[in-house]
Amino acid sequence: MTILCVRFQLPPMYEAALPGLLGLLEEFTPVVQALPPDGALADLRGAERYFGRTALELASVIRVRALALHGVDCVIGAGPGPMTARMALREARPGRTRAVAEDEVREFLAGQPVVALPGVGAKTARTLCEYGLDTLGRVAAAPLSTLQRLVGARAGRELHEKAGGVDRGRVVPNAVSRSLAAERPFTRDELDPGRHRRALLSAAEELGARLRALDKVCRGLSLTVRYADRSATTRTRTLPEPTAHSPALTRAAYGLYEALGLQRARVRAVVLRAEGLDPAEQAAHQLTFDPVDEKVRRIEEVADRVRAKFGPHALMPGTLAA
Amino acid sequence: MPGFTHLHTVSGFSLRYGASHPERLAERASERGMDALALTDRDTLAGSVRFAKACAKAGVRPLFGAELAVTPPAAAPAPGDSSVRRDRLRTPVRGGAFIDESTPRVTFLARDGARGWADLCRLVSAAHTADGLPRLDWEDNHAGGLTVLLGPDSDVGRALAAGRPDRAARLLAPWREVYGDALRLEAVWHGRTGTGPGSLRLAARTLGFAAEQRVRPVLSNAVRYADPGLGPVADVLDAARRLVPVDPAKGLDSGEAWLKDQGAMLETAERIVEAAGFRRDTALRLLDQTQTTAAECLVDPEDDLGMGSVHFPEPHLVGAGRRTAQRALASRATAGMVLRGYDRRREYWERMHHELDIIAHHGFASYFLTVAQVVDDVRDMGIRVAARGSGAGSLVNHLLGIAHADPVEHGLLMERFLSKERVVLPDIDIDVESARRLEVYRAIIGRFGAERVATVAMPETYRVRHAVRDVGAALSMDPAEIDRVAKSFPHIRARDASAALEELPELRQLAGEKEKYGRLWELVEALDALPRGVAMHPCGVLLSDASLLNRTPVMPTSGEGFPMAQFDKDDVEDLGLLKLDVLGVRMQSAMAHAVGEVERATGERIDLDAVPDGDPATYGLIRSTETLGCFQIESPGQRDLVGRLQPSTFHDLVVDISLFRPGPVAADMVRPFIEARHGRTPVRYPHPDLEEALKGTYGVVVFHEQVIDIVSVLTGCGRGEADRVRRGLSDPESQGRIKVWFAQHAAARGYDAETIQRTWEIVEAFGSYGFCKAHAVAFAVPTYQSAWLKAHHPAAFYAGLLTHDPGMYPKRLLLADARRRGVPVLPLDVNKSGVAHRIELVSDSGDVKGAPKGGKPVWGLRLALSDVHGISEAEAERIAEGQPYASLLDFWERARPSRPLAGRLAQVGALDAFGANRRDLQLHLTELHRGARGGRGDQLPLSGGRRTASAGLPDLTEPEKLSAELGVLSMDASRHLMDDHGTFLKELGVVSARRLREVRHGETVLVAGAKAATQTPPIRSGRRVIFSTLDDGTGLVDLAFFDDSHDTCAHTVFHSWLLLVRGVVQRRGPRSFSVVGSAAWNLADLLEIRREEGLEGVAARLAAPAGNGSGAADDGDAPARRRLAGSDGLPAPAGSAARDPMEERTIRMPTGYEMHPWADLRPAGEGPAVGRKLWHQSPGSAG
Repeated sequence: MTILCVRFQLPPMYEAALPGLLGLLEEFTPVVQALPPDGALADLRGAERYFGRTALELASVIRVRALALHGVDCVIGAGPGPMTARMALREARPGRTRAVAEDEVREFLAGQPVVALPGVGAKTARTLCEYGLDTLGRVAAAPLSTLQRLVGARAGRELHEKAGGVDRGRVVPNAVSRSLAAERPFTRDELDPGRHRRALLSAAEELGARLRALDKVCRGLSLTVRYADRSATTRTRTLPEPTAHSPALTRAAYGLYEALGLQRARVRAVVLRAEGLDPAEQAAHQLTFDPVDEKVRRIEEVADRVRAKFGPHALMPGTLAA
Repeated sequence: MPGFTHLHTVSGFSLRYGASHPERLAERASERGMDALALTDRDTLAGSVRFAKACAKAGVRPLFGAELAVTPPAAAPAPGDSSVRRDRLRTPVRGGAFIDESTPRVTFLARDGARGWADLCRLVSAAHTADGLPRLDWEDNHAGGLTVLLGPDSDVGRALAAGRPDRAARLLAPWREVYGDALRLEAVWHGRTGTGPGSLRLAARTLGFAAEQRVRPVLSNAVRYADPGLGPVADVLDAARRLVPVDPAKGLDSGEAWLKDQGAMLETAERIVEAAGFRRDTALRLLDQTQTTAAECLVDPEDDLGMGSVHFPEPHLVGAGRRTAQRALASRATAGMVLRGYDRRREYWERMHHELDIIAHHGFASYFLTVAQVVDDVRDMGIRVAARGSGAGSLVNHLLGIAHADPVEHGLLMERFLSKERVVLPDIDIDVESARRLEVYRAIIGRFGAERVATVAMPETYRVRHAVRDVGAALSMDPAEIDRVAKSFPHIRARDASAALEELPELRQLAGEKEKYGRLWELVEALDALPRGVAMHPCGVLLSDASLLNRTPVMPTSGEGFPMAQFDKDDVEDLGLLKLDVLGVRMQSAMAHAVGEVERATGERIDLDAVPDGDPATYGLIRSTETLGCFQIESPGQRDLVGRLQPSTFHDLVVDISLFRPGPVAADMVRPFIEARHGRTPVRYPHPDLEEALKGTYGVVVFHEQVIDIVSVLTGCGRGEADRVRRGLSDPESQGRIKVWFAQHAAARGYDAETIQRTWEIVEAFGSYGFCKAHAVAFAVPTYQSAWLKAHHPAAFYAGLLTHDPGMYPKRLLLADARRRGVPVLPLDVNKSGVAHRIELVSDSGDVKGAPKGGKPVWGLRLALSDVHGISEAEAERIAEGQPYASLLDFWERARPSRPLAGRLAQVGALDAFGANRRDLQLHLTELHRGARGGRGDQLPLSGGRRTASAGLPDLTEPEKLSAELGVLSMDASRHLMDDHGTFLKELGVVSARRLREVRHGETVLVAGAKAATQTPPIRSGRRVIFSTLDDGTGLVDLAFFDDSHDTCAHTVFHSWLLLVRGVVQRRGPRSFSVVGSAAWNLADLLEIRREEGLEGVAARLAAPAGNGSGAADDGDAPARRRLAGSDGLPAPAGSAARDPMEERTIRMPTGYEMHPWADLRPAGEGPAVGRKLWHQSPGSAG
């Protein structure tokens, strides 16, 4: 019962506040793992002894501090391992931390739906439910070989172990989220490809600027198009080289968009997500003899500085200004 | 000032383009002082007949035309040009492709009378032979009798808009080649800027180009709507047609395309000629040219369209050979006399000659021969066929074999069908098996040839639900929101949307948020009754001579490709085209299937047409009111009436069917009849002379034939005249005249004033409401036959019904009825089930619950493969052919079901024979499927060959099995779905339908069940009553909600599938009772609460105000009203309900009967519950 899973109740689109909140957790333990967009895992094994309080008591302290310092409420689940902590979070409410003790893990798991298990996505959950394995108790009761026939050899074994309460995960400290997203909603059903591209351009510019501000590059880009009927299409593409260069991101975004070939689809929003973030200094960049490329990058650098000084709207592509 | 004629006007018949009805256009043209008006709808002439009639009324000369998309002549294509473009087009991952409207459009006007009209019909028909949207190929684009207007949307106009007069000149050449002097260039100014369509610059360029090319120009306004201010409606229609939302940034309708008057058009002309650089007075010449063009177009609706004349197929096609049709008919009728053994009876001969005289008088002999020919053909194909309608009253029809019943014996009159005094086309309808209706159509087309036969169109018009959907989509509303709003409405007219919002209790919540939707309501009402699509009329077939295609534009129907005339059934009558109604009757198919099953299983051949009359078991069944599934007598109202009337002869059935019509119910003919029948009141006749006519119905007028007899006896005017008088009775104006005439003639024949007065009262009250006895006799035959089948071969009867889906009730209700009547329902089994429902001997396969003891074999009903959700015909046939299967593998390999289908079969237990539980079977199927795809060969995880190995998965629980049955079969096949809720219902103290029979009148009870049918029929008191039927496994409970309970109950009743209702029992006879509801809850919600929160939660829910939260249902005066309620179940007048806003809005029928404005509509919600909606979805249930 030494791992806490914390979810901050951030208003949507406030990912930027997460690093500050992680700092709050790091005051208790160095072993903090961010779960973007609004959560974190913290390993309090050392802290319990250091502060002389149980993890549950520390949880209350964390909540109080988050409210006092940042004005953000949080929900906390506690358990012996990261998996149980995350699952306990589902039953927690603000002010009521759900803690699962070591010896009651199996019992607790047995009543949980499969979809609650970290690592079980919508598809696996659907498969399992189709065969009547809708709770983890039933999954644990099913023969291993049957599980492996259902979801594959490795996934089946892992599922079986997890459902049996074996938690092999650890809290891995890392600083920031591994992806960034920019969303552009439309006020009405938008069919015009011109306006779609404009939204993509603006989102790609924003992503580029945010990546460069963090000194990161991304390895891939994913485009999610949301439609009026609340369904969505998502496509992902790996970039030719890791980059934070706005024109490169824009090109990739346009490529993703063209591949959808949308005509009459009623688009309500486009979301662009930069994935696979790495530090910029580790990125390789293919040099060319074309001087234009370098010039563009240098202009971008200058533009970033101008924006830093005069605000984000000081400089922008012509199509967006119109 | 010179006159002006709009040469380019579209009406609402241009689907999702025109915004005004043709009648409105004609009226407006007349109001604005125009002498002529053209109707040039897009791709259709469907509005022509209405337009012609409206023009005749408004005093405007009609011009006929059409606007067609024309493929330009194929120029030599640049090499590789088109293929490159096609490669670039991707299939959209979502939302579909744009509607391609890029083909240039041209307006054609019929000029030279009949020739022009024939050309127009030919062009429109040719345009509809293209794939996709209608498009006229250049090869078909030639006609001698047409004038052609090349407007802004034509290829020439587009070239001009693009600033390419050189290209325009090149494109004009082929047009000039074909149409020469009949070519016009059309200038349109809608006040737009730029050079596109509707701009001043394009209009000026067109004019200049016309002068340069020496083609005559005309001015038009490309009218889309009759009045100014309808621009937003046009935008919505554009959006609905293109399936995109309205986009203000993309340009909206200019709002100028209305039917402008002459002054405005003169101003327009002046602006255009000035812009084109001509002198101002040239405008007059432009208008003059337009007028001249209009004057040349001379098509007369009577002479050239053929309105008012009749065209029958040529006599040689209907077996007349070289004789005249009349002689052929006479000899066939005589042969029929001999054949049926009437040749020694004088009355028959007299009647036959009398009828032949009438037919000869009208020259309708070909018509009778045509129908006889069709009926003979159908019978030769082995399809059950029966005549219905007033045609059954004619002896000649009977002699020709068209009608079964002998009209002389049943007292049916020829005059009700056809007389010398009647000048309209008679109609004979024939009923055939619904499943084989299209075969019949093909046979008719084969017999007469595609150039003489066409089906009839049926325009689908906007009503409120579709209007809400289309406007909502155009306005970019949330689809889920649109769906919710649309489904809240009953099926009413679009123009009543606002009124309904204000008045209907079940819409109160929606009305509260009315403002949120802004312009929605206004636009919805503007779409009212505009056609939004065309479908094939379900029964009409046109039969004509070889000139049909010259008089009617024809298009192929979407599914079967039958030729379909663009005119609807009223137009067709006006055009004098012979229409034969071939109705597909599902009951006929169901009975044919039942008879076939009995023969297959037992070898016994049943001839339904020879079933003896007066079978006691059959009438016993009917009197028990357990008539679910029987033709015409299965509705709640009919079951009630049958219970009170207690029929015991065929004649009783005829009367019963005639009484259960809106008219007789409204005119309160039912009660006196019942009273007299059971001897509670003496039978009285107004005069002894009328005893003959009224004896059969205890002195109550039920049939049209009786009214005809009464009038003819008392006035001596003859039956033909009497029928004319009867028809006049429904019109209040002529009623006054008839009264005087009636009194005079009756007095002249020596009847005293009191008799005349009393007789007149009867005639007046019931005359227009009675039912045609010929209809009723035709209906009663299948009624008796179906009841006979239900009484003697119940399993086969249910098999037939379930296979051919008989309509009124959902299938699961029939299944419940079958269980109640002791017919074992056998589950689906791939080794035993057929494509259709079958019967199976079960008496020696173990003890069957509910089966009668004794030596009689018990037949069970085996469910059909075709009822499995998503099964294709080919798959079902393949499975049935491969039976039996030894193992799962065998089944998989030989039947080759699709993976989802196999999964569904496993879920409902159709594969249980192969061992293992249903989930294990699923897993094996998945692996078989994977194996088949991966090509891994025969490596199969099955043990021991035949049996399937267990994989250790949990089996479906009982509720899951039921849920799967509802989801896959839409039926609760293994047991009744209410059975599972027994404990909770017992806790509540709910009374079951069976026990309800013993409950006393006036007691308050709780009932529960699955909703089977909901109606708001018109009733006598002019109030709105919601009738609903619940099914709880032990029987049916009929509910009525009067309007004092609507505030709290209406929404719940319309929008829930499982209901719990508190009400008071009303008894009207030993077999006749219903429950008057005072409060209703959604039982599914309560069950959920019971499961999650226990009884306390339920109590909290029941304590909360019911319905929309406007307080408890029982108000003070309700019990009093219930006491007052009439013994026939209709509500008593409620004095204290005077606050009711509906009071003022009753619709007064011509004879004083008041109807509630919202009665007789298909109510809100989604109709009766079927399938999975009845069941909570547990996370473990599959599919």
